[in-house]
Amino acid sequence: MSLNPYIKPKKGNTSFVMLDVIIALLPLVIAGYFAYGMQAMWLLLIASGCALATDVIFSALLLKQYRSALDGSAIVTALLLCFTLSPITPWYMVAFGAVAAILFGKITWGGLGKNRFNPALIGREFMAVFFPVVMTSAGIWATKDYIQTPATNLFPGLSNEYLSSYLSGLVYKTNGAMGEYSIALIALGGFYLLLRKRISWHIPLALLAVFFGSFWFIENGQNYSYSIAGVLLGTLFMATDMPSSPTNNYGKLYYGSMIGLVAFIFIIGKVSYEYMSYAILLLNGFSYKISEVFRPKVWGEKLDYKKRVEHIFYLTLSILGCTLAILSLHYYDMVSYLIYIYIAYIVLKFNFSFIKNITNPI
Amino acid sequence: MIHIPSLKSTTKKIPIQKLAAPNMLYLPLTTYKGTLSTIVEKDSYVKKHQKVAASEGVFASSIHAPASGYIRGEVNIDNQSYLMLENDFKEVAIPAKQFTINNITEDEILSTLLDFGIEGSGGAKFPTHTKYNTGSKPIDTFIINAAECEPYLSADYTLLKNYTKQLLEAIQLMQKVIKASAIVFGIEKQHKELKPLILQTAKNQDIPVKIKLLPNEYPQGGELQLIKSVTGKEIPKGSIPANYGIVVSNVGTLWAIYNAFYKGTPYTNRIVTISGEKAENIGNYEVAIGTPVSYILETIGLTWNATSQTVILGGPMMGKAVQQPEIGINKGSGGILIIPNPTNKRYNCIQCGYCVDVCPQHLMPMEFARYSTTEDILQLKNFHVNDCIECGACAYICPSDVPLMNSIFKGKELLKATSL
Ligand code: SF4
Ligand code: SF4
Repeated sequence: MSLNPYIKPKKGNTSFVMLDVIIALLPLVIAGYFAYGMQAMWLLLIASGCALATDVIFSALLLKQYRSALDGSAIVTALLLCFTLSPITPWYMVAFGAVAAILFGKITWGGLGKNRFNPALIGREFMAVFFPVVMTSAGIWATKDYIQTPATNLFPGLSNEYLSSYLSGLVYKTNGAMGEYSIALIALGGFYLLLRKRISWHIPLALLAVFFGSFWFIENGQNYSYSIAGVLLGTLFMATDMPSSPTNNYGKLYYGSMIGLVAFIFIIGKVSYEYMSYAILLLNGFSYKISEVFRPKVWGEKLDYKKRVEHIFYLTLSILGCTLAILSLHYYDMVSYLIYIYIAYIVLKFNFSFIKNITNPI
Repeated sequence: MIHIPSLKSTTKKIPIQKLAAPNMLYLPLTTYKGTLSTIVEKDSYVKKHQKVAASEGVFASSIHAPASGYIRGEVNIDNQSYLMLENDFKEVAIPAKQFTINNITEDEILSTLLDFGIEGSGGAKFPTHTKYNTGSKPIDTFIINAAECEPYLSADYTLLKNYTKQLLEAIQLMQKVIKASAIVFGIEKQHKELKPLILQTAKNQDIPVKIKLLPNEYPQGGELQLIKSVTGKEIPKGSIPANYGIVVSNVGTLWAIYNAFYKGTPYTNRIVTISGEKAENIGNYEVAIGTPVSYILETIGLTWNATSQTVILGGPMMGKAVQQPEIGINKGSGGILIIPNPTNKRYNCIQCGYCVDVCPQHLMPMEFARYSTTEDILQLKNFHVNDCIECGACAYICPSDVPLMNSIFKGKELLKATSL
């Protein structure tokens, strides 16, 4: 029997949400094509194809349903994964990453929405652990020979040379990962999602404010190098990923600020590439707890603020503790063990617990 | 809070028409908290406006015959009892009670509200005599709830537009009981054309009223939300507004009050909006309480067909789909909507948080879905499932069609079953 309400907004269902995210990412695909032509396109296609196929096959095998696999989320994961990779990453690695992202990042959690971690970043970490040599080699970023459209001065009219090259860099550049060629287009996609209410301003604003605020606060902040495009991409498209981020506004503000802070700590702790992925994945793990601690004040309720402050304090303490733990693991080159533990955990959890709830929508 | 297309424009301008009483009436015996017991014999003859069932206690109420005819006993339809009354179309009525409005006493007003079976017309059917029995509590704001926030429904709007004077008289009468220092109409911005009309009429009658224009948001007509918008006070669910110096009354209820004291008739008719994509002859109708849905459908030229359409009793957000066409209109039904069968696109919850954003009670509805399935009573309580006003905003916005209302109802049942 169907229950109230009996009306629904038009075009509001989950596949439209995914469609909006794909639309927001398309300009970056085009920028990728501009920069590296078919080289980049092939990787995107391979990743999308593998992600979709994995989703359909394993949804049918493990979750006993495949219709939901066509909601578009696999494409989103595939695109985001590629956007963190070099355009000359070997294709089989990309395929592996896409399969891992869907299988271990989503399906084994019970399908769309139930995953606690961002699948694209899970895919990326799997690649880093299983192909460590290639992923960290300097060669993989030596992409000069593949460039299709070199970056040029797009503002020749400006007399100030520094300014015009700076502005050009914002619009189009050719170094970095596949999603990082145009800060302007990343921001455009973000604005689109904001306008469509697919993301809220809370996470990006808090994240960027804390991140850049921290560098401004410390001495020699400008001496640390990080990719602004990468940070922005992570902020707008990965930190805001719905399933893995908190569900209420105060929770989102806290979550965003903590990602900013943790990423900052990783950068000054000399984590040179993975600072953003580590920070987001770490906070993903706390996302549910954050939603719970920052539960909105119920109508007419008298909140026990003392208790809440205490909860926030312990929460922050645990997040910082984990940050230091990961930093130490990174220092001793042992982050890969985390992934092994993750695999063991998720496989066990799927077989003994999640499988029982696959028909539940949550 | 959330903006929902109002869909009222089609029926808003249509004047009230009267729907003739049917051959068989199904008088609902379910009230706010409990059931009415029939006080007339089966197969006995009752006159129009005669009391046929009543209950006792704080939430006492009663129901009266909208037509003269023969009592045909109680039936149970869809787990609710109805008293059948066969209309003989003779319109033999008991003589209308006369009141001398000018020197009527408080007690007389309250006992008449009870005796005439006046109940809240907004949906909850809270007995009106209980609501106005504020004793010595000082009341500073008398709020008239004209924020009919459910889409499609325009019954209150037409009443306000066509019976402004009568409603103001009812307000003036109730003021004798509660003596509120201010009278405030809460009206949605989309109906702001009513403002000059009400202000002018009130001026002619020398009643000081204020109008509060409210945003076109759902559920602005929820009692707690309305109180906050008008007075700024955020009172928890389950508390009695009169304790905060507030009385809220719905437009439909005031119309019933007017009919009771100025026409001498009990609550036997109400205004119902008939609308929806699949409806015909849409508009606002004066309908006898107990008129079965099937009869209404026939009158407007439709037939009962459960496979091709859904019929809703009430509004689209909080109403209930009609399962059995015999069920009768009750005192809280503001609408009959005939719409295409809703289609569900079920996905998993994607944790988008939209439901949290729109919840007027500031709850986290997806957690109810999570913990109702696992029957985790402690967590259901921690997330305040009992503070939910069942407005349906969360389920409306949910892109994955997570069965949130189901979980909420189940969660509340689970909590009720334990002493937590
Ligand atoms: S949880 Fe209850 S009060 Fe909140 S939006 Fe849903 S139905 Fe309305
Ligand atoms: S609106 Fe629906 S999908 Fe979104 S968080 Fe709430 S229950 Fe989940």
